[in-house]
Amino acid sequence: MHDSNLIRNFSIIAHIDHGKSTLADRLLEYTGAVTKRELKAQMLDDMDLEREMGITIKANRASISYKYHDQVYTLNLIDTPGHVDFHYEVSRAMAACEGVLLLVDASQGVQAQTVANAYLAVEAGIEIIPVINKIDLPAASPEDTALELEQVLGLPAEEAVFTSAKTGEGIKELLDAVIERIPAPQGDPDAPLRALIYDAKSDPHRGVICHVRVVDGVVKRGDKIDLMGVGSTYIVTEVGQCMPKPKALEVLRAGEVGYILAGIKTIVDVNIGDTITLSSRRAGELLPGYQPPQQMVFCDFYPGPGTETAELREAMEKLWLNDCSFTFETASSDALGIGFRCGFLGLLHMKIIQERLERESDVNVVQTAPTVTFEVALRDGTVMRIESPSELPDMSHVEHIGEPMIDTQVIMPADCIGSIMQLCLDRRGVHKKTEYLSPTRVMLTYQFPLSEIIYDFYDKLKSMTRGYGTMDYELTGYKTGDLVKLDILVNGIAVDALSVIVHRNKAIHRGRRLLIRLKKEIARHQFEIPLQAAIGTKVIARETIRAYRKDVTAKCYGGDITRKRKLLEKQKEGKRRMKQVGSVSIPQSAFMSILDPGD
Amino acid sequence: MESLGLYLHIPFCRSKCGYCDFYSVAVLNRPILPLIRALARELENRLAERPGPISTIFVGGGTPTVLPRPELDELMSCLKQVVDHDHPIEFTVEANPGTVEEAKLDLLTRAGVDRISMGAQSFHLPELQMLERLHTPDEIPRSVKSCRSVGIRRINLDLMFGIPGQTLAGWRESLHHAVDLGVEHIACYGLTYEPGTALTARRDRREIVPCDEELEAEMYLAAIDDLESAGYHQYEISNFAKPGERCLHNLVYWRNEPCIGVGPSAAGYLQGVRYKNVSNIEEYICKVEQGGQAVVESEKLTGQDLAGETVMLQLRLNCGIVFDEFLLRTGVEARLTYARSIAKYVQNGFLKVTDSGVALTRAGRLMADTVIADFIDEPRSAPRCRAGSTRRSKWKMENGKWKMRTCRR
Repeated sequence: MHDSNLIRNFSIIAHIDHGKSTLADRLLEYTGAVTKRELKAQMLDDMDLEREMGITIKANRASISYKYHDQVYTLNLIDTPGHVDFHYEVSRAMAACEGVLLLVDASQGVQAQTVANAYLAVEAGIEIIPVINKIDLPAASPEDTALELEQVLGLPAEEAVFTSAKTGEGIKELLDAVIERIPAPQGDPDAPLRALIYDAKSDPHRGVICHVRVVDGVVKRGDKIDLMGVGSTYIVTEVGQCMPKPKALEVLRAGEVGYILAGIKTIVDVNIGDTITLSSRRAGELLPGYQPPQQMVFCDFYPGPGTETAELREAMEKLWLNDCSFTFETASSDALGIGFRCGFLGLLHMKIIQERLERESDVNVVQTAPTVTFEVALRDGTVMRIESPSELPDMSHVEHIGEPMIDTQVIMPADCIGSIMQLCLDRRGVHKKTEYLSPTRVMLTYQFPLSEIIYDFYDKLKSMTRGYGTMDYELTGYKTGDLVKLDILVNGIAVDALSVIVHRNKAIHRGRRLLIRLKKEIARHQFEIPLQAAIGTKVIARETIRAYRKDVTAKCYGGDITRKRKLLEKQKEGKRRMKQVGSVSIPQSAFMSILDPGD
Repeated sequence: MESLGLYLHIPFCRSKCGYCDFYSVAVLNRPILPLIRALARELENRLAERPGPISTIFVGGGTPTVLPRPELDELMSCLKQVVDHDHPIEFTVEANPGTVEEAKLDLLTRAGVDRISMGAQSFHLPELQMLERLHTPDEIPRSVKSCRSVGIRRINLDLMFGIPGQTLAGWRESLHHAVDLGVEHIACYGLTYEPGTALTARRDRREIVPCDEELEAEMYLAAIDDLESAGYHQYEISNFAKPGERCLHNLVYWRNEPCIGVGPSAAGYLQGVRYKNVSNIEEYICKVEQGGQAVVESEKLTGQDLAGETVMLQLRLNCGIVFDEFLLRTGVEARLTYARSIAKYVQNGFLKVTDSGVALTRAGRLMADTVIADFIDEPRSAPRCRAGSTRRSKWKMENGKWKMRTCRR
C-alpha cells in the first residue's frame, strides 16, 4: 500500500564533529532499523578514513520505518558530508529532500559550516528543523545555542528540538517533529517516470549503484530506462532501499528514495544530477540538475620512491571510478618527471584523495604545492584559465591576471577578533561585515583571494583561536589583481616547478622566504650555489648555499668497513633520486617548500 | 705475502664517553672471567682455521687495560701460544691515560706487547670534559712515562679535533704536546657525531654547538703541516707516523687484507667473507658456549662490492690505489671501471696520478667521501644491460663518458 503522505525525506546537516553520525546511528537504533549489536559505532560512515578523520565523505543513506499515531511512516535519511569542501555533495542531497535537520552542538554553538549549510537549505527552499544536540554535556548551554540560531539565521528559538544522540534523550521528539514539520513528498505516481540521481557508487560485484529520488512515476525491475542527460539506455535489474543494508523491492514510486541497479559498468557512465525516465514513456523535461563539482585547488601528484608512473595512473583511475569529484590529467615537470595534474574541491578534499590513493592502492605520492586557477587576459583579447604557473604565457602578451575570490565566514570567540583581523589583513582580506552572535562570539565576513587561504589559513585560524575558530567559504568569481610570476633560479637556472604566481606587494617577502626554505632543503655541494628569486629578469632576492669544505670519514677500521660502504652507497642512491638541475641535486622535499605561505 | 691480522675486542670501559659508538659497557663489578673464557674458546676455534701465521695482534675495545690484573693475565695467556708460535711483528693494546699502572704494563710486556695506543684526545681539560673523558691532561705524560719505564718501545696517541669550543690554537697546542712527548705515532680524528650517541643527542637538542666546518678543515690541514714538520708523515687520512712506525695492524684493514676478529661486536674478514659478532656480552658468551663462535652477520664480498670496499679503504692511504695490485685482489681493472671518476677528480685536483695508480691529494683528503662515493657508484650507474642481452655492446666509453655506439653497416 503506497501512500506518499507516509513518506518523509530528510537529511542532517551540521558543522564537523557536532554529532551528525552519532545522531544517525541513534535514529536507526531507536526505530529498530539496526540492533545495538549490529550497530558498529557510526554505522553510516563506511570508509576507514572517514572514521579516522571523523568526517563523512560520501553521502550515505538509510530508509527506516517509524510508527506515529498508529500510522507506519517511512523516513528516508540521507546523510551528508560536513566539510567546507563538500558543498556540492550537500546540495545534491538536499535536492532529494523536503527537509533538513540542522544540527548544532550545544557546547560549541553555531559554527561556520552550520551557517553555510543552513544557507544551502534556505536556497533549496526546504524545511529546516533546528536540533540542539549534546545537551548531556556539562558545558552545554542549549538555550543560548538556540538563541544564536535565531540571531544568525532567523530560526525561531522555540522551534528547536533538544537532543542527546549519546543518551537517546529527545530522539522520539525529533522523529515526531520530522513527521509533523517536514512536508510529505509531492509528485505524481501516474506521470511519466522522473528519478533524480543524487549519488552513485561503484560496487565491484554489482556494477554502479544509482541512488535516486523518484519524483514522478514508478520504476521496477525489468523496466527499460533512459538516462536523459547522457542519452544511454539500460534494463533495470533491481530496485530497492537501504535499510541500511540494501533490500530489493518490487517498485520505487513517486516520493520514494532508493537505489537502482541497471548493469551500468562504470561510474563515468552516470552523471550525478541526471534524470532517469522510461524508454517506453519518456518524460518531457529533465529535472533541474546539480551544478557539476568545480575543482578550484590544483596540485600535481608524482610517483614517490618505489612507485612507477604506471602504478600511480592505475591507482588514480581506480579511485576515480569510485569518486569522480577530482580531476586528473598527465603532467610533466622538468624537475619531477611524469605525473598528474589534479583538481580538487578544496584542501581537505586534496588531502583525502591523496590518503585514499596511498591507502587503497599502496602507492607513494609526492604532492606539489597546491595552486589555484588563474584567469589570464591576453592583449589580443583572448582569455585563458591556467592551473599552473608554468602555463603562464610570456608576460609581454598578458593584459592582466585574475585570481579566484571567495567570501568567507569566520566564527570565533570575541576576544580573538584582533588577531584574526590582522591575519585576514595579512592575507589581503577585505572586511565586509562583523556580527556578534552573542556577547562572546563573533562572525566576520571577509573577501579573500582563494590563493591566500589554501596554504594554512585554516590551521592558523585554529591555533589563534585555541581551536574554537571555524570557517567556511564560497567562491564568488575572478578578480583582477597585480599578480606577477616569481621565478626561482638555482645556480642560474630557472626551475619550472618552483615558480609561483604572487601578488606584487608580496613578491619580495615570499621570494626571500622561499629561498631560505630552499637553502635548508638543498644540501651543500662542492661548489657555491646561488639561489635567486626573480620577476622577469629582475632579481628581487638572493641566498647562497656555501660549498662544503670537508667530507671525510675520520675512522675506518675492521668493524666499520661494510657499514661505511653501504652508507656511501645509500647516500649516492638518495642523490640519484634527486632532481638534477645543471650540476645541482635538488631533493623532492625542496619542491614542497613553495607550500610555505610566506609569513 | 699477505698479512693476517688478529683483533680482540674487550667491551669494557670505566664509563662510556658521549661520542663513542663502539660496543662497550661500564666495568662495574661485573663478572669478567666468563667472557674471557668465551674469548679464549672463540680464539682457539678461529686460530685452528687460520690460513697462515698471524702477523699483527691488536687488542682494542673498550679499554682493555681496565680489566683487573688477574683477568688481564688470563687474557694474555690465551694469546701466548700465538705469540710463541706465529711470532707476530706487532702486538698493540689500547689503553686510556690513568688506566696504565706499571704492574699491568709489566704484565703486558712480558706477554709480548710492544705497542700501546693511548686515547689521549686532548691536552685541554674543558675539551676532555666535553668529550666526557675521565682523565686529566697531566695524566697523559705520566702514562706515557709509565709505558716507557716498562720498555714499551712504540706508543700512539689518539687526538681529536673539531671538539665544540676548541680553537685552532688550542688544537695546535695539543699536537705540539704530543710531539714533545716523543711518541712514535699520532692519530688525529675529526669528532664525528655518530647516530645514537649521547653527544649527537646533545647536539640535536642544541645543547652544544658543533665546530664550524671551515675551522675543522683548517685544523685538519694544520695537523698535516705541523706533524709533517715534526717528522711525522701522514700515511692515512687520520694517521701519522715517524719513519718505520706505521701501525702494521691497521694497514691490514686499509689494504683490505684478511683479519680474524674475536670478541663481542668484533668484525673479521676471512676468505673473502666479512663477518661480525653479536654486540652483547651475555649473548656472545651463550653463542660461543653453544657453537664455538658468535657471528650474527656475514657477507661474501664479490665483484663490485669487493672492488668498492677496496677503493674505499685504499684511497684512504697516502699511497692510494695501485692498479696492478687492485686487479689481483679484486679482479677489477680500476683504471677502466673508475675511468669517469678518475678523470673528473684528477681534473679538479682531488686525485693525482702516481707511478702505478691514483691517490688523493691534500685537497682531496678533505673530500675523501665525496670522491669515494663517486668511485663506488660508477659501475652501478653505468648504462645498465640486462643479463643475457647484447645491449651492452651498444655502449662504449669515450673521454670518460658512456656513449651510444652508432651502428655503421
